[in-house]
This record gives sequence, structure tokens and C-alpha cells, in this order.
Amino acid sequence: MSVIDILFRVDEVCKKYDKYDIDKQREQNAYGDDAFARVYAVVDSTIQQALIKSEAAAKESNRAVAAAWNAEVRRAKGRLMDEVPKLRKLANKKAKGLTKEDIAIRQDLVLALPERIQAIPDGITSAASHTGGWAATSAHPHIKFDSPEGPVDSDYFSHSEESSQFRNEYEMRKLKQDEGLDIISEGLDTLKNLALDMNEELDRQVPLMDEIDSKVDRANSEVRNTNLRLKKTITEMRSSRNFCIDITLMCVLLGIIMWLYNALK
Amino acid sequence: MNRKGVHKTRRPRNQYNTTMASSDPNKLLSKADKLTRLSLTRWSADWKTATVLYEQAANGFRVSKNIEKAKTAYEKASQGQQMLSSPWDAAKHMESAAALAKELCNWREVADFYQKASELFMECGRPQPASDALAKGARALEDTMPEEAIQLYTDAITILEDDEKEQMSFDLYRAVTSVYIKLEKYTDAASSLLRLGLAADKCNATNSQTKAYLGAIIVYLYAHDFKQAEQCYNDCTQIDAFLKSDHSRCAGKFLSAYTDGDVDEIKKIAQSSAVSHLDHAIIRLARKLPTGDVSSLKAVTAEDDEEPLDENDLT
Repeated sequence: MSVIDILFRVDEVCKKYDKYDIDKQREQNAYGDDAFARVYAVVDSTIQQALIKSEAAAKESNRAVAAAWNAEVRRAKGRLMDEVPKLRKLANKKAKGLTKEDIAIRQDLVLALPERIQAIPDGITSAASHTGGWAATSAHPHIKFDSPEGPVDSDYFSHSEESSQFRNEYEMRKLKQDEGLDIISEGLDTLKNLALDMNEELDRQVPLMDEIDSKVDRANSEVRNTNLRLKKTITEMRSSRNFCIDITLMCVLLGIIMWLYNALK
Repeated sequence: MNRKGVHKTRRPRNQYNTTMASSDPNKLLSKADKLTRLSLTRWSADWKTATVLYEQAANGFRVSKNIEKAKTAYEKASQGQQMLSSPWDAAKHMESAAALAKELCNWREVADFYQKASELFMECGRPQPASDALAKGARALEDTMPEEAIQLYTDAITILEDDEKEQMSFDLYRAVTSVYIKLEKYTDAASSLLRLGLAADKCNATNSQTKAYLGAIIVYLYAHDFKQAEQCYNDCTQIDAFLKSDHSRCAGKFLSAYTDGDVDEIKKIAQSSAVSHLDHAIIRLARKLPTGDVSSLKAVTAEDDEEPLDENDLT
């Protein structure tokens, strides 16, 4: 027997004994018997995927990537909301092997679905009503605003909380700068006035300085003349020869006095 | 020992400093008087020695705090110097005499002496000390005889302006303005400020000029004379320097705040830096603005505004 033969035989055998495969039966049962269960399973898995994606988007630092993921999450939410009315119909349908309690449970599950879908975080925290509105409109079967509006809205909204923070900061910093500039302008005003007053005072003193200058020049020349005359007079009265004689005589006199003093002591 | 003790008590302390032969100013004074008084024995007064003696006597009296006698001695010394035709020394003695008269609170004499001193300075051909003397006199008389003080200030200003030294006259103008404000003669104060502006214009001191004009407008507003203030503002804006300055903008703001009747705005403008660098008397006035009822002015101006609209409708 060749491999292919073995494979074919295995397939046949599996097909025969499929009914004993519990997981597969469950799946098939779910698929086969119950449209509700099938759809519900699909919805559930989609919700899980959306949750994972939104968590990843929240952790993502790259804003563009985060925005794109949020957009996908939102798209998924929109599609899920579409499924909800279908599920509601299916939940009410009576299926084989379902008890009344099961039907009630299924109805409750369907009711809980919209909340679960809304609870998926998609980057909007404050504008939940908006998303509710958008989601509601996207839930209408005949209006499908999906791909073209999605990213634009998401970009717009995902910036709003951060941009409002930025705007607040910007306003506060602008106010502080304005205050500082006011103080600076006051100081500059005072400086300007002081400088103008000093300017005028100096202008006033310039002619006075000129007068002082001329007067001092005159006094200077007079003093010099006087000095010359004094020198002339002194040299006339006492030439240097006479001066030396005076000094020698004074020294002699001092010597005599010292000798007398020593003698008398 | 006894002799020494007697010797010590005989001489009073303050006369240790005098360096003349007889150390009693009274004696000097009487001696000098004798020299100047004409009598049968004396045909011509010996002013030279007399002046010297008078000066010494005056110094002695001043040291011993005998102000009355010192003043008379200085007067006589000044007279002597005049006789000796040295007006400078005469003027200086007159000034000292006036300062002593001020201490004695003899205001009439203060005025006379300072005026005489200034005349003597003018004789020397020195207008500056002359105006200084008058200014000193005026300052002394500000509180007691304000009108006299104003007169002296005005004379001092005239002397300076004749000598083309307007720069020096700014201080005097400001003093005159403050005296007028104290006397509550606001129109006079404003007119003296305008004269200040004129003097400043002559020496191109634009800052003082603009400050003077703003001050004048504030004084008019304080006197609650809005029309005058407006007129003054219009006149002053003809002058280029004022038009371009901060002070004219401040004045315009004041006037517009008055027409709007906005009291808070007026108070805010009075706190601004342009006003705070004016003379303190004027700052005080500005802080007290607005006097009287500003809203009445507003009503008047509102009525004026309606009429032109009606004319437009008719045409």
C-alpha cells in the first residue's frame, strides 16, 4: 500500500468515526443545529480579538499605529453591533433540544452583548456617548459608514484628550509669560525715565563744566606766574652761596651748643 | 598758683579761638563804629579797618551764638565792603546776614537781605549767584510768606532766562508750581508748568517738556476744569515733541477716561509709570483724581454726540 492509499483510508475511517469526536461534534452541532450558537461563538471570538487589539493599542507608543488599531477595533465593534439584531432573532427561535431556560439564557446573553461590545476600549474615554451615537448609526443596516469615516474620526478623537491637555498647558504658559513680560515692561519704563532724566541732567552740567574748565585754566596760569615771580624773588634775596653759608654757620652754632651742654652736664 | 587759677577763670572758653588782640566782639564792634562815625575829630571814615573789625566781630558773635549782634555786624561789614567797592564780598556778607535773620525768623529782613545780596551779585556781573540768593530767600519764605516767595522765585527765573541759562530754571519753576499747588491756585500752577515747557523747549529738553505738559493737564483735571484741560491738550499736541511722547498718550487716555466717566480707568492710568515719574506734588494730585462728578461730564459729551447724528440724518 502506498502512502496516498493510507491517507485515503485514514480519512475514510475518521469520517466514519467523526460522530465520536466530542469537540468536533460540539462544533458541528453548534454549526449544524444551532445558528444562534454558531453566530454567538463567532461574535464572542471577535469580541475577544477586539479586546486584545485594543489593549495592544493602549500600550502602543507609536500614535499612528495605535490610531490604526483603534480604528480596526471600532470597525469590528460596528460589525458586531450589526450581528446583534440577528442574534436576537435567533435567540427567540425555538431550536431542537433547547429548554425554555436555555432560550431565556440566550436572550439574556444577547441583551448583554451590546454592552460588552461597547465596553471594548477603542481610544475614546470621554466621548462615550459620541461613540454610542456613531455605533448606533452604524448599527442601522442601511447606513454603513465604515472604512472612509473610521480613520478620520479616530484620528480626530484620539487627539482630543491629549490636545486638550496641550491646550491647557499652552494657555497656562502663555499667561505666565504675559505676567513676566508685564513685570519686565514696568522695569524698562522705570529705566527709560531714569535714563532720560540723567540725560537732561548731564546736558545741564555741560556748560557748567566748560565754565569750570576756563576758570581753572586761568587760575592755573596765574599760579604759574606767581611761582615764577616767587622764585625770582627768592633767588635775588638769597642766592645759593648765601644759603650754604647760612647752613654752615647754623651747624657751627649747633656744635657749640652741644659742646657747652656736654661740658655743663 | 593763685595767679594761675585767677588767670584761668578770667578768660571765658569761647574766646580762646579768637586770634585778635582784644578778644571781645563787642569791643571790636564798638571800635569799628567809632571808626566809621563822623565827628569833629574824624573827617573821613576809615572803612578799611572798620570793615575788617566788623568781620571779626561778626565771626565772634556767630561763634558765641549771639545771632542778633552777628547779623548787625554782617550788615555793617557788607556796607563797608560796598564802600570799598568790592560788591562780591558785600554780597557774601549780606547772604550771611540773611541766613542769620532766617534763624531769628525775621522774615521781612530775610527777604530784604536776600534781595540786596542778589542786586550786589548782579553788580558783579554774576547772574547765577544772584538767582541762587533769591532762590534761597524764596525757599526760606515758602511756608511763612508764600506770595513773597513766589515773587522771589519769579525774579530768580527772570534773571536766569535773561542770561539764557534756562536749564537752571527748571528747579525754580517746579518750586513755584509746588507753592501754587499748596496755595490751591491751580490755574497759576498750570501756567507756570506751561512756562516750564517753554523753557525746556528752548534748550531741547524734551523729557522735561513733556512731563511739564502732562503735569499741566493733570492740574487742570484736578481743578475739575475739563474744558481747559482739553484745550491745553489740543494746544500741546501741536508741539511735535509732545505728540510723539508717552506722556501725550497718557494725557489722551486720561481725557478719554473722563469722557467715558470711567473712574476705575482713571485710577489705573494714575498708577501708570508715565505719571509716577512726574513731580511728587503732581503725583499726589493725580492719585486724588477724579475730583467731583465724572458722570456729569459723560452726560454732557453724550448729548454733544447725538447732534451730529441728527445732522447726518437730515442730509
